[in-house]
Amino acid sequence: MTRRRAWWKTLLGVVLTAIMLFPVYWMINVSLTPTTEMRKSPPDWFPVHGTIEGYLAVARDQLPYLGVSLLVGLGTVVLTLVLSAPAAYSLAKLRPRGGRPLSFILLIAQMIPAIIMAMGFYAIYLGIGMLNSIPGLIVADSTIAVPFGVLIFTAFMNGIPDELTAAATIDGAGAWRTFRSIILPISRNSIVTVSLFAFLWAWSDFIFASTLDGGGDLQPITLGIYKYIGNNNQEWNSIMATAVVASIPAAVLLVVAQRYVAAGITAGAVKD
Amino acid sequence: MTTKFRRGAAIAVAAALVGVGLVGCASSGGGTSASSKSYTFWDPYPQFDQSAAWTKLVESCGTKAGVTVKRTGYDTTALTNKALLAGQQGNSPDMLLVDNPVVSTLADAGILTSTAENKLDTSAIDKNIIAAGEIGGKTYGVPIGANTLALYYNKTVLKAAGVDAASITDWATLTDALAKVKAAGKKGITFSGINTEEGSFQFLPWFWGSGANLTQLDSPQAVAALTLWTDWLKKGYAPNSVIQNTQTTSWQEFATGDYAFGENGTWQLGNVKQAGIDYGILTIPAESGGPAAAPTGGEFLTIPVQKDAARYATTKKIVNCLTSTANFVTTDNTLSYIAPTADAQAAQVAGNAALKPWVDAVKAAKGRTSDNLGTKYPKISEQLWTAVQTALSGSQTPEAALKAAQTAAAAAIK
Amino acid sequence: MTTSAVPAKRAVGEKGGATSVAPPGRPAARRRVRSGQWAAWAFLAPVVAYLLVFYAFPLYRNVELSLKDYTVRSFVDGTAPFVWFDNYAKVIQNATFWPALTHTAIFTFVSIAFQFSIGLALAVFFFQHFRLASTLRALFLVPWLLPLIVSASTWSWMFNSDSGIVNSALEALGLPQINWLTSPDWSLIAVLIANIWIGIPFNLVILYSGLQNISGDLYEAASLDGANGWQKFWRITFPLLRPVSAITILLGLVYTLKVFDIIWIMTKGGPADSSTTLSTWSYRLGFGSVLPDFSPAAAVGNILILIALVFGLVYLRTQRKLDPS
Repeated sequence: MTRRRAWWKTLLGVVLTAIMLFPVYWMINVSLTPTTEMRKSPPDWFPVHGTIEGYLAVARDQLPYLGVSLLVGLGTVVLTLVLSAPAAYSLAKLRPRGGRPLSFILLIAQMIPAIIMAMGFYAIYLGIGMLNSIPGLIVADSTIAVPFGVLIFTAFMNGIPDELTAAATIDGAGAWRTFRSIILPISRNSIVTVSLFAFLWAWSDFIFASTLDGGGDLQPITLGIYKYIGNNNQEWNSIMATAVVASIPAAVLLVVAQRYVAAGITAGAVKD
Repeated sequence: MTTKFRRGAAIAVAAALVGVGLVGCASSGGGTSASSKSYTFWDPYPQFDQSAAWTKLVESCGTKAGVTVKRTGYDTTALTNKALLAGQQGNSPDMLLVDNPVVSTLADAGILTSTAENKLDTSAIDKNIIAAGEIGGKTYGVPIGANTLALYYNKTVLKAAGVDAASITDWATLTDALAKVKAAGKKGITFSGINTEEGSFQFLPWFWGSGANLTQLDSPQAVAALTLWTDWLKKGYAPNSVIQNTQTTSWQEFATGDYAFGENGTWQLGNVKQAGIDYGILTIPAESGGPAAAPTGGEFLTIPVQKDAARYATTKKIVNCLTSTANFVTTDNTLSYIAPTADAQAAQVAGNAALKPWVDAVKAAKGRTSDNLGTKYPKISEQLWTAVQTALSGSQTPEAALKAAQTAAAAAIK
Repeated sequence: MTTSAVPAKRAVGEKGGATSVAPPGRPAARRRVRSGQWAAWAFLAPVVAYLLVFYAFPLYRNVELSLKDYTVRSFVDGTAPFVWFDNYAKVIQNATFWPALTHTAIFTFVSIAFQFSIGLALAVFFFQHFRLASTLRALFLVPWLLPLIVSASTWSWMFNSDSGIVNSALEALGLPQINWLTSPDWSLIAVLIANIWIGIPFNLVILYSGLQNISGDLYEAASLDGANGWQKFWRITFPLLRPVSAITILLGLVYTLKVFDIIWIMTKGGPADSSTTLSTWSYRLGFGSVLPDFSPAAAVGNILILIALVFGLVYLRTQRKLDPS
């Protein structure tokens, strides 16, 4: 590849990303706008009369909740991976009887409206005393990600050539060892994908958090937004500021993780 | 091979057990059964955190009654669902503060105690305000404060357009004023016509002001009210965005300082000063003059049904504390509401003369679920806001939209 | 032709696995079948337990809600009468049903068509290694970090008829104002645009990792044969990406059928039902007014589940056809 072409692509990439992120920019713009200017017609493209009022409110009220969100997000990732990867391996490679109906059920399970799920969890958690707890929230959030994880892993693991696992079986490896030492390392990309979405869903979840953790002392940051949604009035600059602040650490995490993963994959390729 | 797979299976089973164990362990850690010294309080004020004056007040009333009160704020729509769900699971809070039109729904669901059971004294409360909590001859709860709608106007804009606010007494003079404002290059009026309860809330002063009745949505009077709004939109006196405006969005539009009028509530009183607008307040005029009845807003403090009836006595003490004249004044000044009793209203006006027009407006206001509509109101209201949307967006004429609404509402409440 | 690369890769593998290859009747083989089944279900056990514990109840509840006639009172005390399919009949006869169904179909298909093709184009684009590629790709995920209430509100902000940035840009270009959210002709388009935006990162990420799983050797071999980029895409990338594409589209379908928050926040399904889909309708019945109407809401929700079921079957069908075994 010539250097010139690569630069051209970077430029195009930056432009595309800018278009994609324009609504995010607009959100930042609103977060800096004082109430009197919010519905100005025509709107200002830049927060010329910017106020950091929203951010001051967030700094005052919200920062402790970031840790809770992070914990819930990572917990959801772990639980999702532990549950979905082995199941997908079985569905894709061990071909259990009744496997197809099961993947079908997983697909349908996702159609249950989140609010009905939340109501179900409320009843269950109330019975076992898990309301307003972080583990409770992790389990609830994972219900979005587990069926997704199983289906995505299955799709990817289906693509792993059977001769690889067959060779391992001939070598005398059991199902578990095949899974651990052959399937898992090959599935690195899909693990990253599933983890990413599990994290993102847990991070931005609202319905479970408000139904199951509404009265908790340890709340995720998304609930912090409610602080600015009063009965009659919403403080939009603070709402947007919360969302911005909440997304910064996660965005950094995403970028770093992507770089790390990209590096890992290249390293792996060299080893091959 | 067999042993190897067994080990795999064992690990998989172990993983399953860990999952179950997670659930199992947690069940032993603390249930939700409230102890006799701990009382729960839910309200729709998520904006107040643990250090807010409101929380302190609730807690101090608990302390006076010899118990601790744990207050939790929920988003107002989430609160209704949560209250129903908790009622279903027998886990209702000891005190529940809800938006007044919700009271009839919750009472209908059988999760609220009436004053006959909980022995609360509501005799001092203004009749028109408590009406929203009266269903089938029983009263459920005490209003914590009330609010209503009026027209905020921007003096600077009106002056530039050569309009005297005092000349606006009915719909015709208001429309004339809007025409002058538009001719002067400014914007007329903003309100909220969204397809939720907020939209009905904002339309009702005009609806009632025409003489229409909620039991007959397609009356000529109702058509006149909807035509008024539709014409404002057509002539450009009101912006197209009113169709999706919430009351907050509408307020933001008024706060730009470009609009002559904004229909909004008591609760914006603090914000209007912040926005730096030289404002005045007009009661919403009826079609042929005089003030129109505006709907009452505001929350009711209710006592949900408990398994242990012995709790009501303490709960009553806490409620009485929160609804004392002094606390009414404190609370309603914080919320920018009007107190529901004459004594507390007088104290509020003594402290802040700007509240006077709002006290009058609240006295003239009318509960949405009053006229013994109760749980029929939400059904009617849904059709009403739908009709407003249909007409404002130009999908149907006001006549056709209201006719359809009446048919649907009649079918829904039969 | 399109599948040429797939069998080449799979020909060596015994797709049926040891179980189906072994002729029946031999004891050793039968034991192996049985033990294979045990291992397979042992791996599945956690998820099955999980499904039973956490999904069975809500699913049962949703069906039960739809077959009984619940009022708020009977919701609380649990004494609703059983009415069979009355709620379904009522829902289907409702004037909102057909518009909602049509809007659901349009919303779902248009969303997926755009999300998938844009997502695929971006995945292929970012797969070429250039400076900042991985960072920019990570940034594409930022919209997913925002709670939907915020991103959807931002869109409704941008689409506001009077003070929205979109109209302000249109006016700057000399075009007339469009009432994106407040005109019955545009509201569905407006929510579609927002939904496509939300869905692009999902498609991009999954398809991108699908691309990573395609062996680079194939491209090298194709280059040696003198294939150009376009040919490489249609002969290698596209067919090899098919299993991942199928699941991405299927999941996209399920998620799009379910979407209600974006529409609810932006238009509440209005004006005049012009952007009402089955899922927003279900939400409106259940939670949109002060008086919840759970039974018809659950009925609408279950109709949606049935629709997803049909697409799930179609997916299984095509998968079976692709499977050589």
